[in-house]
Amino acid sequence: MDKNLKKYWKSEIELTNSAQVDTLRQNEFLDSLPVDNILEDDKSLKESSTNRRDFLKYLGFSTSAAVLASCEGPVHKSVPYVIQPERIRPGIANFYATSMFNGYDCANILVKTREGRPIKIENNKLANFHGSANARVHASILSMYDSARIQGPISNGKDISWDDFDIEIIQKLDSLRFNNKPVVLLTNTIASPTTSKIIKDFTDKYPNVTHVEYDSISESSVLDAHEIMYGKRAIPYYDFKNAKYILSIGADFLGDWLGSNYDGEYAKGRIPTKSKDSKAQMSKHVQVESNMSVTGANADVRVPMKVATQKLFLAHLYKKVAKLDLILPELDKIYEIKLNEIYNELISFGNSALLVCGIDNVHAQILTNSINDLILSEAKSSTKISLIRKGDDKKINEVLTKINRSEISGIIMFGINPAYTLPNPDLFSSSVKKLEFSVNISMKMDETSSICKYVAAASHYLESWGDFQFINGEYSLCQPTIRTLFDTRQSEECLLRWSGNDNSIHNVLKDNWNKNILDANSIWNKAIHDGVYSLEDNFKPKLTNVDFSDSISKLINNEVKNFELCLYSKIGMGDGQQANNPWLQEFPDPISRVSWDNYLTISKIDAKSIGLKNYNEANGALNSNYAMVSLGDSEIKIPVLIQPGQAQGTVGISFGYGRSSGLKSEMMTGSNAFLLYKNFSKVQDVVIKPVHEIHEFACVQLHNTLMGRGDIVRETTLEVFNTKNKNYWNPIPVVSKNHIETAVNKKEVNIWEEFDRSIGHHFNLSIDLNACTGCGACVIACHAENNVPVVGKAEVRKSRDMHWLRIDRYYSSDVSFTDDKENKENINGLSDSLTVFGDMEDPNENPQVVFQPVMCQHCNQAPCETVCPVAATSHGRQGQNHMAYNRCVGTRYCANNCPYKVRRFNWFLYNNNDEFDFNMNDDLGKMVLNPDVVVRSRGVMEKCSFCIQSTQAVILKAKNEGREVDKNEFNDACACSAACSTGAMSFGDINNKESEVYKRKKDDRVYHLLEYVGTKPNVFYHVKVRNNDKLKNI
Amino acid sequence: MGSHYEAPIRKPLVTGNKTYHQISVDVARPIEGSANKQWWIVFGISLTLFMWGIGCIIYTISTGIGTWGLNKTVGWAWDITNFVWWVGIGHAGTLISAVLLLFRQKWRMGINRSAEAMTIFSVIQAGLFPIIHMGRPWLAYWIVPIPNTFGSLWVNFNSPLLWDVFAISTYLTVSLVFWWTGLLPDFAMIRDRAVKPFQKKIYSLVSFGWSGRAKDWQRFEEVSLVLAGLATPLVLSVHTIVSFDFATSVIPGWHTTIFPPYFVAGAIFSGFAMVQTLLIVMRKVCNLEDYITVQHIELMNIVIMITGSIVGCAYITELFIAWYSGVEYEQYAFLNRATGPYWWAYWAMMTCNVFSPQFMWFKKLRTSIVFSFVISIVVNIGMWFERFVIIVTSLHRDYLPSSWTMFSPTFVDIGIFLGTIGFFFVLFLLYARTFPVIAQAEVKTILKSSGDNYKELRDKKK
Repeated sequence: MDKNLKKYWKSEIELTNSAQVDTLRQNEFLDSLPVDNILEDDKSLKESSTNRRDFLKYLGFSTSAAVLASCEGPVHKSVPYVIQPERIRPGIANFYATSMFNGYDCANILVKTREGRPIKIENNKLANFHGSANARVHASILSMYDSARIQGPISNGKDISWDDFDIEIIQKLDSLRFNNKPVVLLTNTIASPTTSKIIKDFTDKYPNVTHVEYDSISESSVLDAHEIMYGKRAIPYYDFKNAKYILSIGADFLGDWLGSNYDGEYAKGRIPTKSKDSKAQMSKHVQVESNMSVTGANADVRVPMKVATQKLFLAHLYKKVAKLDLILPELDKIYEIKLNEIYNELISFGNSALLVCGIDNVHAQILTNSINDLILSEAKSSTKISLIRKGDDKKINEVLTKINRSEISGIIMFGINPAYTLPNPDLFSSSVKKLEFSVNISMKMDETSSICKYVAAASHYLESWGDFQFINGEYSLCQPTIRTLFDTRQSEECLLRWSGNDNSIHNVLKDNWNKNILDANSIWNKAIHDGVYSLEDNFKPKLTNVDFSDSISKLINNEVKNFELCLYSKIGMGDGQQANNPWLQEFPDPISRVSWDNYLTISKIDAKSIGLKNYNEANGALNSNYAMVSLGDSEIKIPVLIQPGQAQGTVGISFGYGRSSGLKSEMMTGSNAFLLYKNFSKVQDVVIKPVHEIHEFACVQLHNTLMGRGDIVRETTLEVFNTKNKNYWNPIPVVSKNHIETAVNKKEVNIWEEFDRSIGHHFNLSIDLNACTGCGACVIACHAENNVPVVGKAEVRKSRDMHWLRIDRYYSSDVSFTDDKENKENINGLSDSLTVFGDMEDPNENPQVVFQPVMCQHCNQAPCETVCPVAATSHGRQGQNHMAYNRCVGTRYCANNCPYKVRRFNWFLYNNNDEFDFNMNDDLGKMVLNPDVVVRSRGVMEKCSFCIQSTQAVILKAKNEGREVDKNEFNDACACSAACSTGAMSFGDINNKESEVYKRKKDDRVYHLLEYVGTKPNVFYHVKVRNNDKLKNI
Repeated sequence: MGSHYEAPIRKPLVTGNKTYHQISVDVARPIEGSANKQWWIVFGISLTLFMWGIGCIIYTISTGIGTWGLNKTVGWAWDITNFVWWVGIGHAGTLISAVLLLFRQKWRMGINRSAEAMTIFSVIQAGLFPIIHMGRPWLAYWIVPIPNTFGSLWVNFNSPLLWDVFAISTYLTVSLVFWWTGLLPDFAMIRDRAVKPFQKKIYSLVSFGWSGRAKDWQRFEEVSLVLAGLATPLVLSVHTIVSFDFATSVIPGWHTTIFPPYFVAGAIFSGFAMVQTLLIVMRKVCNLEDYITVQHIELMNIVIMITGSIVGCAYITELFIAWYSGVEYEQYAFLNRATGPYWWAYWAMMTCNVFSPQFMWFKKLRTSIVFSFVISIVVNIGMWFERFVIIVTSLHRDYLPSSWTMFSPTFVDIGIFLGTIGFFFVLFLLYARTFPVIAQAEVKTILKSSGDNYKELRDKKK
């Protein structure tokens, strides 16, 4: 010990008798504890008494021990990275370009990943074509985290390993080839050059295999017509940007027509922009159709017409355009007049007019192509063709006959679900079950997988490699954004293995691109980074002579005896591949606003004559009868929805519903319309009988008309817009201040103290009602970004949908909204007001339609903020109306006092609750949640936040990089404006005078929703201008 | 207080040749005697309803407000309807005890005790709703400005809901103090008569050592007067503030400057109706016909008639102003009220509140006990509908037609309402068995001037 160190003694004894102290120090317990005495001697233990103080000690100890033992904190298991991957920084999102094609939808997209986990789909702006995702593509990310996915290969109902699976399959294939027994490879349309190559290698290896492409919803007539006229089986590509006059006969080109993605280009032509010297111009859109489609809803003029009449109409139009001398059956007088008007307009627009036709008939398509050629339409692309549908009805029918006759011994399928999408699934199923060899490469144990002997678990496109050519010369690459979640393989990989190629799909793809696609100046890494790659590749048609008079006679030679059923696909469900996706099930149809269902759309008059009705229950929920729709020996029972605008004598049913296998029972909604898809024709002659049972709909909008409230959706016509002063068609509401009418946005009217908003960012959202087509991509994007819960059919039915962003759809009660407004203004007296308002509750037979996206308006003087007793909702410095979920006690006063009714209350616990068994109730589904947005608990209010998590991220990014925020950088921060492919929404900082939103705020068409209330919203709308001055609805 | 002379044309307020002792005996009888079968039956029913209500409340709190019939458009319905209804009922007590005291209306003495009891019990019911209607009621204390360590969190003094908290709690406190002060001499009377030691102990506790000295009486009178002065503004303020919940909002049908006086009149209207309902039964059951006479009932009927007419006037003013405003949303809101999907609620309200009290113009009807009872029930129903109409029909169709929907209650909504009725009657029935239901000390002060025997004696002398 250091001598310098001082030593202290505790007592004198320690100094004198250190030995004794040492022993004492060694022995902690001076007396041995009497444990043995007590425990060994049973008697003494029993006799020993516990005194009061001991009792209290024991009691205290055991109570606190029990309490402590029960207080176990929740255990969150987290595994840190052993090796921190490059480029993954916790809290920072990474984006990867990829593309998707599932046989129905296609898009070039960006995938947002957080900590290696894909959480959202965004548009790829580098893409020239198909660069925007629709609602289904946005929702497809959730389909990856689907708990119903197959997690590994299955052979005869048993889980086995891929090695064993491959051995079995190759054995079977070899024996089939050896015996030269025919096998069919039935797939969706292959738009991928590499996949085509792999299939070719496969069929080369197994010459007994024939490859057939099958589209669940066939576009064979368009393809046939193109092949006949131009020598190539493809879909014509239309450039709507160049179309000044669009005549659509039954083509739902803003919906799913031909897998198109036309809304962005279409919307560009629909925005009237005034230049200084000339009048504003916008395209004119006339729609002739039977069902009320999204496209019809956007048209300036809409003519409801049966498909049979549409054919005749087209024939007459052709006759006029081609100046033929033909005798055709006469059109009804009313259509005759319309035809002449339309023809004159069409011709007057010359080569900037465009005709598109959705009639599912090869002759109709031939005539359409021919009319476009005759008017030299610039909008019909002469060099580009679309390659996303290839199925041929004739070939499919041939194959199906062979399968049914057992002329085929084996079948391999991927990307399709014929046991659901064929009109006679039972026959197909029983035939496939009889086959010696049947494989389905699928993500789900769907209808087709359950009849196959072998099911190969397929990967989701976000786990796969691939490439596509949607349009000639326009290539897309698909790259995985996450390692496969389960033991799955993409179909290409399966085919490679089975044809004995051990190369990975990545290598095959890269080789193929380097060899065959990329030119000398391009590199693979750049292509994979961009996700898209363009090559100069112009389509050169081989023109052939076509006998048009034959086409005409074949086209008009048809009669419909009963009801004309027009099958269509809904924006929410498409062909039904993603039926197990709760976002899509809860997505309200843009037109009917019904979620969780398909239905028979029927006109009011027809419904009345058959005895079908819609009515509302005491809580407002929509009910209906069922109808029995029969066609030959098939019949389906389906609820009825009276659809304004439905052509008389026609009914519509959407595909995609009535799935029965591979999905949760909650998702088994609607009826299967494919059963009526005989001969792959979208128009059928059906008999309808009422069934007096009650169906319960989950409809999010129970009142369909605007009640003459023209102030809510302002609109005018192009003529008025061009000739009259702004104050005429877009007046600012006035209030009386000291008996002087003063505009409500004037300072002197304001009773509030306003703070200076010129410093920092001030967010505004602009919504152009001319550009919004109601497609609903923003609704799903908002769902994904903000962890909006799915509440299920029963709750939606109780008007408790949780969507932060909704797209209101209004029908006019009179012929137009302007008439509604006039009718309301001309009300004279009490009894008149009762009749007029009573009439206004019902939509017109062929109404005008308008879409209005509504989310939190982020009022600068918000009514919700003043009434919250705990100040849980308050105003942000950047203009947002904040919502502090943790502070909310749930009085719902804010929601009551919101004039826009955008606030959504958590009536129940929507996560980790078996009552709401959707994606937030299982660990897999929760992977889609955005970690930046809190998942709300029950009892709190929630609403649109202007995606504050993203705007904040943009600000921080700019700050880190030491620069100012770019002028339009905020636009992509808001999920809705980022998803909007039409440019209807623009989000940004109005304090940045360069920004798009600032420019839009200066526009004459700007108005605020319910401006007179004085809420001063930060969302503004643009007056809808209709180009219908001459031609009116009938 | 007041003069000891009452004009001969005035009807006596105490009948049945009472002496001071008889009054004591009559008032103490229900407390000293044992409960009869009817009491137990009614108590049993009330208790069952109360328990059912508690069950529904537990279900709501454990599962969520989703168990009610509310939706994204109609965020309040039965919950706040019930709240306003109960607060309104609570109004009569203070009006009778405070305002009528200041106006020296002696007929108040026979009824003020029960009216005040009713006030307190109904404010308790009312107070339940703002708490259980919250999505997270376990955080209800956040709406009270308690200094806290949560950071800078504080309540929002702009919110009418916060004003409600102050208004209701002040009202409950003042009413309770006022009531108890009046009870002191009466409790002392019971104490002095009590023979059982336990009873004696309890009543001596609750009578706060009342000794009956002249000083006690002088202080008693002074405190009563001061409290009456304090409570009178509350009669106006409480329902005014409750009406601000609606009046300060921007929703057509709520955003109305007429609401404060209209709500106060309505509250007095419904309060008197409830007093009428309770006392007509009570005078019969407790044999108090001599203290709560037909004269009392008639006077209350007159108040009901007048306030009913004020309320009717307000309804018509609302319609007029909606039309006169020229605002389309306002106009439609009121048109929709009267003729929309909830027309039945509106016309139920109109019939019950505006038309039915007009029968009271007939002396024969307003002195008929059975008829008065029926009308009192009708008015209570009507006033419930008034609040339902204001809340639900304004919300269900407001500005944007896309959000329009309907409301329909679930069994939980109904169960909680019935539960509060049960709770109210449980409290009232217990009160009737343990409290002096007539302010006997006060009644004794008017016995010599307004007792029938004394009046007769005096008139004979002349």
